[in-house]
Amino acid sequence: MASLSERRYFSVFKDESKLDINYVPPSLPHREQQFNFLNHFFRFAVESPGKMAQRVLITGKIGTGKTVLSQRFGINIMREAQEKGINLHYVHINCRECKGSPFQILQRTILEFYPHFPRRGYSAEDLLKMLMEILDEQNAYLILAMDELDALIHSAGSDPIYSLTRVQEGRLGAPQRLSLLCILRQPEHLDMLDPSTRSTLQRNLIQLEEYSASQLRDILNDRVALAFRSGTVSEQVFGFVADSAASEGGDARYAIELLWRAGKYADALESPMVLPEHVRKAAVSIYPVVRKDMISSLDLHEKLFLLGVARHLKQTRNAYLCMGDAEEAYGVVCEEHDEKRRGHTQLWKYVKELTALGIVETEISSAGQRGKTTLISLPKVPAIDLERELSDMLHARKK
Amino acid sequence: MPIEDVLSSKGRVRILRILTDIGELNISEIARRAGLNYTTTNQHLQALENAGLIRHKKFGRIRIFRFNEESPRARMIRKLIDSWDANK
Repeated sequence: MASLSERRYFSVFKDESKLDINYVPPSLPHREQQFNFLNHFFRFAVESPGKMAQRVLITGKIGTGKTVLSQRFGINIMREAQEKGINLHYVHINCRECKGSPFQILQRTILEFYPHFPRRGYSAEDLLKMLMEILDEQNAYLILAMDELDALIHSAGSDPIYSLTRVQEGRLGAPQRLSLLCILRQPEHLDMLDPSTRSTLQRNLIQLEEYSASQLRDILNDRVALAFRSGTVSEQVFGFVADSAASEGGDARYAIELLWRAGKYADALESPMVLPEHVRKAAVSIYPVVRKDMISSLDLHEKLFLLGVARHLKQTRNAYLCMGDAEEAYGVVCEEHDEKRRGHTQLWKYVKELTALGIVETEISSAGQRGKTTLISLPKVPAIDLERELSDMLHARKK
Repeated sequence: MPIEDVLSSKGRVRILRILTDIGELNISEIARRAGLNYTTTNQHLQALENAGLIRHKKFGRIRIFRFNEESPRARMIRKLIDSWDANK
C-alpha cells in the first residue's frame, strides 16, 4: 500500500471556485426573462445617459437568484457602456454587511471611486452630496445596487431611501446620475416605508419565484460542468441534490452548497465519484442557519460571542443560557483568540443582531429566578455543529 | 517657485512622493503618511499648488489632492521620483 507521502491526491473538483457563493456565472438558467426586464428598465443608461434615473426593486426568497441576477446584469451593462464610451459604474453593496447603516453604504460606494477617501468626519447626508459631486466631476453614472435592503429599512427606516430616490430633485437641470437597484428578501418590509418612497420603488418590480426541482437541476447541471471533473457527478446525484433543495424552498444557493459539501465528503473519503451517500452526509451537516454566507458575514466579535454561546450550551446541555454566562463564555473565547473583549453594551447589540438574523432566540427570564436576565437559545441548530463551523472559520482566519 | 525651493524641503518631497505612489489623497491622510501636522501639510500643499505642481478637487468639505498632469514640470518631477525609487 502506498504511504501517505506517496499517495497522489485525487479530487472530484476541477475548479471549486465555481461553487463559491460569490461566483457570478456567465448565464443564469431560468432567469432570462427577469434579466431582460432589467436590461429593459436600464436601457436608457447606455442609450441616453443622464436623461433619466431609474429605481428598480427585485424581491424573492433566499436562493432565488436575486444577487446573482443583479451582479450579472451589472457586469454586462458596464461592459456595454464601456464599449460605447459611457462612464457607467455598477456598485453592489450588501446592506446587511453595512449593518443597515446609510453612512456605511454611501461610504463604501464612494470608496469605489476614491479608495483613499477619508473614512470619518461627516454625516450620511454629506456623503450623499459628495457622491453626487464625485459623479459630476467624473462625468459618471451610477447604478447603486443595494442588496439585503431589509437591513437598511429595519435599522434606518424610510429616510435614507427617500433621500436616495429624491436626490435628483435638488439638482434641477443637472444630468441624472444615480439609479437604484434595490434587492429585498421580504416585500413586507416595504410597509415600513412612507407611501411615496414605497410607490417609487414598487413601480418597477421584479419578483423572483422559487426554483422548481427541474429548474434547480438545470442550474446544477451548469455548475457541475464548471466545477467538477467529468464523470464524477452522476445525473442521479445532482437530481437528488436538486430534489433536496426544492424541498428546502427552491433555494439554489443551498443546492450549490450541498453539492460542494458532497464533493468535499467524496474527497475526504477518497471516492472517485460523488455518491448519494455523500449528499446525505452533506445534507445532515448543513443547517439553514449555519450556512456559510450567513455566519461569514458576521463581525469577528459576533462570531466569537456566538462561539462562546455554542460552547456553553454544548457543555451544559441546557436549552438556554443567561446573558451573564454568555459574556463569561465569550471572555474565554476572546482569551483563546488573543482578542480584547468587547463591553456589555456592545455584546447586547450583538445579541439583538443575531436575534434579528434568526441565529439565536432570546426571552426574558421569568419568575423563579432572581432579577431579570436575557435567556439565549439556539433553536435551529445543534450547538456542536455551530461550534465546529465557527471554529473552522476562525481558525482559517488565523492562517 | 524655483526648483531648489521644491526639492530643499523634506516635507514637500515627501508629499510629492506620496502623491506619486497613491495618486489622489485628502489632506489628513497626506499629513498622516508624511508624518507632518495638518497645518504644515496644508502650507506645503498650498505652495506646491501655487507652483502648479499639484491640483485639488473639492467634495463638500473634503479636498483631494493629486499631481497636476497638465503641467510638464509636475510630470517631470513625478518621473524623477519614479525612476529614483526604481533604481534603489
